[in-house]
Amino acid sequence: MDLVTIEGKWDFNYTYFAGESASRFFHELRENQRIMGTRCTKCEKLLVPARSYCDVCMAPTDEWAEVGPEGTLETFTIIATAFPGLPPPPIVMAYVTLDGADTALINLVHGLDVTDIEAAAQKLNTLPRVRVKFVDEPKGRITDFHFELI
Amino acid sequence: MSAAIIGVGQTGYRRSFPDKSSRELIWEAARLALEDANMDIDGIDMVISGVAPDALAGEASVERTAMLGFGKPFLRINTGGVTGSSAVFAGNTFVKAKRARAVLVVGLERMGQATSSQQVFNTIFDPVYEKDFPLTTITMAALRASMLMRLYGYNAMHWAQIASRSFRNAMKNPLAHIHKDISPEDVLNSPLLAWPIHRFEACPMSEGACAVVIAHKDMVGDRTPAWIQGAASITDSYAMGDRIHRPGATLVDLLSLQMAAQRAYKEAGVDRPREQIRAIELYSAFSSAEAMAYPALGLCAAQDGPRFVEAQFTDPSIPVFNPSGGPQGANPVSATAMVRIAEAALQVRDMAGARQVADVDRAVATGQGGATQFSTVCVLGKRQAA
Repeated sequence: MDLVTIEGKWDFNYTYFAGESASRFFHELRENQRIMGTRCTKCEKLLVPARSYCDVCMAPTDEWAEVGPEGTLETFTIIATAFPGLPPPPIVMAYVTLDGADTALINLVHGLDVTDIEAAAQKLNTLPRVRVKFVDEPKGRITDFHFELI
Repeated sequence: MSAAIIGVGQTGYRRSFPDKSSRELIWEAARLALEDANMDIDGIDMVISGVAPDALAGEASVERTAMLGFGKPFLRINTGGVTGSSAVFAGNTFVKAKRARAVLVVGLERMGQATSSQQVFNTIFDPVYEKDFPLTTITMAALRASMLMRLYGYNAMHWAQIASRSFRNAMKNPLAHIHKDISPEDVLNSPLLAWPIHRFEACPMSEGACAVVIAHKDMVGDRTPAWIQGAASITDSYAMGDRIHRPGATLVDLLSLQMAAQRAYKEAGVDRPREQIRAIELYSAFSSAEAMAYPALGLCAAQDGPRFVEAQFTDPSIPVFNPSGGPQGANPVSATAMVRIAEAALQVRDMAGARQVADVDRAVATGQGGATQFSTVCVLGKRQAA
């Protein structure tokens, strides 16, 4: 007896609502090419990317402040294998603390020679300084910028 | 007030079960758990279904597959990777609160039906700030593994040794998905997925179902119990980037697991974990997750982690890690944290067959969900907690 299989496909469309804080953060990226954080009214940490509240303190944020454009790399990975639905490798992805921020921000690192992955990893292990580099035509998305080693 | 696991049922785990519908997978695990508990469904006061993203199965409201018996309260739990342990803990709470004498908890993973599961996994991230990046379970683990190497001196061989040990343990577990003798060298020679993680260090994608029966102590009678001595579930802040500068507990210090361990140990009367726990079923989908768990569980200081990895191969006093093979042997995501508890229960009940560890008076099972936003620790024992 053959076991029966039934084909299925989920193909739903969504429009995600970024909310007020992220909308302003994205607006700053697009219009002014600057990265903004918001300060927690309780722990006073400058949270980046900007958000409307601090989830640890359960407190609202108030002040907006610009961070960067330089910062320090905190940790990283170098993606070496292709995964379905994701961009082709190699990709360097890292958490960076931009100057003035109290949290680290994830984004891609461009411009690093990764022909020798091990050598590239050792270089990133020194936690180099990086600079934010904006794309030529920012669209108001988190992908409007990336990091480059200084 | 004590509760115990008196029945365990598992389908075993594979890449897919083309011979079973989702309901049949649950039926199989639930039937085995009831049989082990020497009970029928009429003795069960409540059913709890643990299942994570519906999209992995491609069946919305997938908890409907866990309708068993009738006329009983029913609950679905979804807390990502710790779905399975959260479901068990909910059952434990209902029993301890005397709202049920016996609870049937079932965990299902049906990702064998998904033909592009990594794409599904990408939808679990925040759509505003995260989903545009190649964040996956693998890259999240890699971001931490590289930090562990820099901070504490782990090297590629440590990751390979941990993975190889789990694969070799899984060979003794007929329920495991992967039965391959993979050496540390094999791990190092497998393709690099995301530095520093190699393919054979990553857990497989598995499906299957697991079920446990949790009962009030008055119902235990002559059944073989694994007493739930301690159970704790703790959250962390959402963003991994927010934890990098946290004083005292950075991204690689699993604060949520540490807090869960402290609470569960206290309930269980454990104050010297390295001596009082014989077997530990870790939710370690990657070697680095295991390394982060050692200090969180109070087994060694963080900076001694690399030496602790080496010592476990020569020092028999160190608890046995993942005798079942752990998530490297099988990773049915929604069910994995329940499988850890089920396997720890089998160890305590001396029912683990070829993978049985000698003299297990106490065993611990952990759960890790999301980017460790959720951690669970469960202490099981042959005796009730004092």
